[in-house]
Amino acid sequence: MTRKERPEFDDEFNEAEFFGFAKSYLSEAFPNPQRVGCPPDCDLQRMAEHPVEARDAAVSQHLTCCSPCFNRYIEILANLKRRSASSAGS
Amino acid sequence: MASGASPSSFRLNSVDRHGRQINPAVLAAAEAVSSRALDYGVNLLGDAAVVANTLEEVAATVSQLIARRDPPGEPAPIRNLPGYVFRAFVRQVKRLKNKELAVLDAAIAGQTPAQRLADPVRQLEMKILVEECLAQFDFMERDMCWRRLEGFTWDEIGPVHGLSGHAAEVRFLNAARAVKANLARSRKPLPRAAETAQNEESKLAIETDDEKRTT
Repeated sequence: MTRKERPEFDDEFNEAEFFGFAKSYLSEAFPNPQRVGCPPDCDLQRMAEHPVEARDAAVSQHLTCCSPCFNRYIEILANLKRRSASSAGS
Repeated sequence: MASGASPSSFRLNSVDRHGRQINPAVLAAAEAVSSRALDYGVNLLGDAAVVANTLEEVAATVSQLIARRDPPGEPAPIRNLPGYVFRAFVRQVKRLKNKELAVLDAAIAGQTPAQRLADPVRQLEMKILVEECLAQFDFMERDMCWRRLEGFTWDEIGPVHGLSGHAAEVRFLNAARAVKANLARSRKPLPRAAETAQNEESKLAIETDDEKRTT
């Protein structure tokens, strides 16, 4: 295949690659050891179950720059997913 | 292979690396164009030794061609032998270069996601894309992103925001593509999305969506 025939991928969005990278990046890139500005666990729990923009916008924004909260939120979502899978199965 | 130390002119062997004899007239013609051939070939192939081998192979092929056309009654011999050898050499170099690019493409396509993401440039591109997406997404798109990277299917994500699975997927992908297009317009380097680099959960979610679509 010559260069001319090679497909241009730059305009495409590869979902799997994006999420694969985003998860590993966000889980480590923002350590925040002092836990500055972290919301309480109940806020994360509430946003996972019923996200409401007016109430949860700041929490959602915080997750983009705090790896501990991001990891905790992912954990909450995983539990939620497990719970809904088991309730659907029973 | 060719002998001789000077990088701009070298002596060629009278036999190429496949053991084919080179006609003395063709050998002289090849040596006459060796300096130009070296300039041209090193530019594309990078290695003077490869260029010399290629020139010898081309000379051997031309020799065979002349031998086949030699019997009486055949058309007149090649008038400008050095020019003929040089043009044949240029064609052969282009062929080799295209082959090299094809092999490179295949190697890139065959890389594992981990190998691809081990490339620091690619990591930087992905980092920029992720940060831009999270900065430009609205609340709903960002929430879709959190759920999706935990492995939720679009059919699970859509109803959380009062949408169908398909509508949620379209909304998210459009938002992500818009961010990517903005980055492309600002001339920042962007990721090539030829292959996948996924964690198992998001892969599973995508497969689940695909299965649902087919049923």
